[in-house]
Amino acid sequence: MDQTDPVLWNDWHPVAARCTLDPARAHHTMLLDVPLLVTMDGAAIVARRADDTPLHQDERYGLVWVCLGTPTRSVLPIPEADEPDRPAIVVGAIAVRTSAPRVIENFLDLSHLGYVHAGYLGDDPHTQVLPYQVDPLPEGGVIATQCRMYQPQASPAATEGFVVDYVYKVERPLVTCLYKANSVIRDRFDVIYLFVQPVTQETSVAHPLLLCLEDGSSPEALRAFQQTIFMQDKPILENQVPKRLPLGEGAELAIAADKASVAYRRWLSAIGLTWGVVQNAA
Amino acid sequence: MARVMLDPRNWYAIAADHDVPHGHIYRTTLGGHELAVWRGSDDALHVWQNRCPHRGVRFSLGEVVDGELRCQYHAWRFAASGACTFIPAQPDRKVPGSIRATVWPMAQGSGMIWTGIDPVGSPPMLPDGAVIRAIPIAKPAAVVTQALPTDGLALMLQPLDEASAMVRGIALDGDLARADRVLTALRRRLERAA
Repeated sequence: MDQTDPVLWNDWHPVAARCTLDPARAHHTMLLDVPLLVTMDGAAIVARRADDTPLHQDERYGLVWVCLGTPTRSVLPIPEADEPDRPAIVVGAIAVRTSAPRVIENFLDLSHLGYVHAGYLGDDPHTQVLPYQVDPLPEGGVIATQCRMYQPQASPAATEGFVVDYVYKVERPLVTCLYKANSVIRDRFDVIYLFVQPVTQETSVAHPLLLCLEDGSSPEALRAFQQTIFMQDKPILENQVPKRLPLGEGAELAIAADKASVAYRRWLSAIGLTWGVVQNAA
Repeated sequence: MARVMLDPRNWYAIAADHDVPHGHIYRTTLGGHELAVWRGSDDALHVWQNRCPHRGVRFSLGEVVDGELRCQYHAWRFAASGACTFIPAQPDRKVPGSIRATVWPMAQGSGMIWTGIDPVGSPPMLPDGAVIRAIPIAKPAAVVTQALPTDGLALMLQPLDEASAMVRGIALDGDLARADRVLTALRRRLERAA
């Protein structure tokens, strides 16, 4: 068996959403090859390992978080989650048969929007990816700014197509988010987080979280829209070969539009991530 | 997928001509290598590694557009030669020549599509009037090879992966129904064996 990745072993991962737990029975899931059970005891949620080895548990943003090792920091703080006009909406758990880093990379990818999400987040022939800026984050991770994309149906509330400004961040190896202009309140941003639970090296559960401004869209509509978008990504993700993200330079060919992905892969390489990746051969 | 040793000089039949109609992308495997077999608008057939060199998405998810293969992820287009011809994310830039699909050898003969690692000569010719029926068997090709009797049916094997093979039976008498009976009996016998 592979030595479990210390970076991920000592980090926090979502394993369930409170709103989807059934008080009558345990939710069975897995994290880094370790079987887990999540149960409700009244209002309290208890996450435990199937073999009863102790673990660390927290609850944030409507999600149950677990750290199997020794946490070196808290669950990622998200300042926008404290803004009163941004209700946190859990989209739901989506199982994806690929590695967690592949799921994160796809979220950062601008140039698939016009094809995989045609009619929603992009459209042929508005497929050109204009130059954007990529920088390291001071605490580790990657930020991509000045991203712009024409979108016919940027959100459920959008009534026309428009050029949407985007910012992407990867703050932890399996946590990413985007800021995009709200379709109605265009000078403020909606925030969408994607947390990916690494189940095994080659299977994952995606937990998207919406921190959108109240623009008249119901939580149901927002959730349904995001599920539709994710279901468009899923068949692509499950047909990437290999399932583990190749970190070696030249293993897959990148172009200028892939700057964010290149930076993400390099950062994973630099922090020595081993889970769900094919490491640099050198 | 675990690789299986192939004879690098062999031609292997991997599909029938009629498995790949106009504009279709047929997915198969040979010795653990995933392949995409597609037919362009000029009717020409192509056998490629089933993987876009950009992000590894299977070409078999894609589409044949104007005689080129278009990947489903970012709509990169690849010409019959394997060369990438268009990247929609940067439509005004010349595509680097290094971006290519991996092209496998291809030959047509006796109603079949053939490929191999570095095949020598031409694929074997089957006699006129012979018919071929195919059946997947969940046993390694090496096990199927030793199977006897085959009731006068010549067998042609496409090792799929380490655990299974596509078995093609050649009936020289043209009797399809008998070929099917022999192949299904063979499968039953082999798959039941421990």
